[in-house]
Amino acid sequence: MSQGYPVKIYKEPDLRRSSLVLGWSEDMGNLGLKATGYLNQKLKGQEFAEIEPEDFFPLGGVAIKGNLAQFPESKFYACQKHELVVFQSDSPGAEWYKFLNSVLDVAEHHCRVKELYILGAMVNFSAHTTPRELLAVVNSVEMKEVLSQYDLAGDTDYQTPPGERPTLNSFLLWIAKGRNIPGVSLWVPIPFYLAATEDVQAQKKVLSFLNERLDLKIDFSDLDQEVREQNEQLARVRSRFPQIDDYINRLESNLMLSEEENGELIKKIEDFLREGG
Amino acid sequence: MGIRLCQKPQLENPILVASWPGIGNIGIIAVDTLREILGAEEFGEIEPLDFFYPKQVLIRKGVLEYLEFPSSKFYFKRTWGKDMIFFVGEEQPTEGGRVYAKGRKAYQMANLVLDLAEKFKCRRVYTSGAAVALTHHTTKPRVWAVPNGVSLIPEMRGYGNTVLMSDIEGRGGHGNITGMNGLLLGVAKKRGLEAICLMGEIPVYLQGFPLPYPKASKSVLEVLSHSLKIEVNLDKLDELDQKVERRIEEFYQQIPLEIRGQLDRLKHMTYAQPAEPGPITGEEEKRIMEDVEKFFKKRGGGD
Repeated sequence: MSQGYPVKIYKEPDLRRSSLVLGWSEDMGNLGLKATGYLNQKLKGQEFAEIEPEDFFPLGGVAIKGNLAQFPESKFYACQKHELVVFQSDSPGAEWYKFLNSVLDVAEHHCRVKELYILGAMVNFSAHTTPRELLAVVNSVEMKEVLSQYDLAGDTDYQTPPGERPTLNSFLLWIAKGRNIPGVSLWVPIPFYLAATEDVQAQKKVLSFLNERLDLKIDFSDLDQEVREQNEQLARVRSRFPQIDDYINRLESNLMLSEEENGELIKKIEDFLREGG
Repeated sequence: MGIRLCQKPQLENPILVASWPGIGNIGIIAVDTLREILGAEEFGEIEPLDFFYPKQVLIRKGVLEYLEFPSSKFYFKRTWGKDMIFFVGEEQPTEGGRVYAKGRKAYQMANLVLDLAEKFKCRRVYTSGAAVALTHHTTKPRVWAVPNGVSLIPEMRGYGNTVLMSDIEGRGGHGNITGMNGLLLGVAKKRGLEAICLMGEIPVYLQGFPLPYPKASKSVLEVLSHSLKIEVNLDKLDELDQKVERRIEEFYQQIPLEIRGQLDRLKHMTYAQPAEPGPITGEEEKRIMEDVEKFFKKRGGGD
């Protein structure tokens, strides 16, 4: 453990050759929080460490969400039987390098992590009826070779556009490379009108990959039911509002919507889903 | 850095009521008034040197006699089988000249306050502050209540004159509580302590007004005393309110007639249901805010 890193270890996990799965709480489509929470629930993850918030979050008050005061959390869970470590965290607002090194310090020195899986979502201007893809960006040729047998889109070309910055996930992947930890940053494109709520299909997509890759033997029947329910909700909103149906039809035909139409679609779907559809 | 105790009272599962200064000093006046009415006794303080710059120096005949720091004091009261700890911070621990606490110092202070609370086996924490709202100063301020756990919501639904964030038009249950009065809720959550912040409404055009807003402190105290199941006489706050009200009216009459006409419409602002349109539309609300901002800009910031 690097000196001075603000990590609290509650209990040393008994892991010998583990994989680390990392997700952020405020991810689009609620992907990071839901996927890591699902793994913890299914694999009986035990909280064993956390990163103290004071260096990384503004702490100038609290945010309120769904009527409740929130507080930033950055927690590690061990799923011992499956040699899996789950890290679930709010995205740090400052000191990214120090924060990400703290994550990898715990991973390397307390969990003997051999591989890193970073979960992320990105906005996509397609309809929810389009099957979800899983894009992969790796930090080593060897990792690319290992993952080539899975259903991943792994030949992405991308350069940060002028005026933008690389994501936290890319930063972590790069730091892991410097530490010789093979890693992959997984990206699920999410329909833009589900980005602020839930995209259960996207959650299922990334979890299915992890299930196969890490041989977790998870029964997804509950998540499949959630996917069905969300699809039914979206079908209801389409049948109730012909205009929304028209917008989605156009997306399904690979046609672009105007900015105003995008806004209307987002609002209608979000309101409908939040009210329980 | 730490807590200095001048006595160690025997308390049974006390409730902590804490506040720091903020907009209109609504929270701190409410908490300090309750502390005074109940006659709570000082028993400790947080040492100020690591948190604050001195607030006053006393020099006599060229000799520095005294340097005073903002206080952060604890008080206790054993009452009606319900023991209480009060914490009153004279200033928020800030860095770089801000009004509200932020960062490491804020987090350390929140932890110190809760260290003491947990040392006495405190079971619940209340904080209090201001909610800037589209209301008028002649209407009774409501109290916005924010808990740090879902199990507290049913209880809060039973409070009178109180709303949850989801009851506020256009907020969808979301928002922020700036500074220590909010941060304490979050740190309490991290420690598994239940906590509630009660925020009294202050009209949007008074948020920079350099006077307290005791009318909202009274609303907060009514809710707090109901929640604590104690009876308190709030006459003292009424007196202060009358004094402040006169000053507010003087200020209000200086506002140009056209803008005042817009502000007068806030007297009829209601939030009956989150989804129901109020008597003021979103566009009108925007115009009122723009007019108010223009007026205060002309006055050089308004405060």
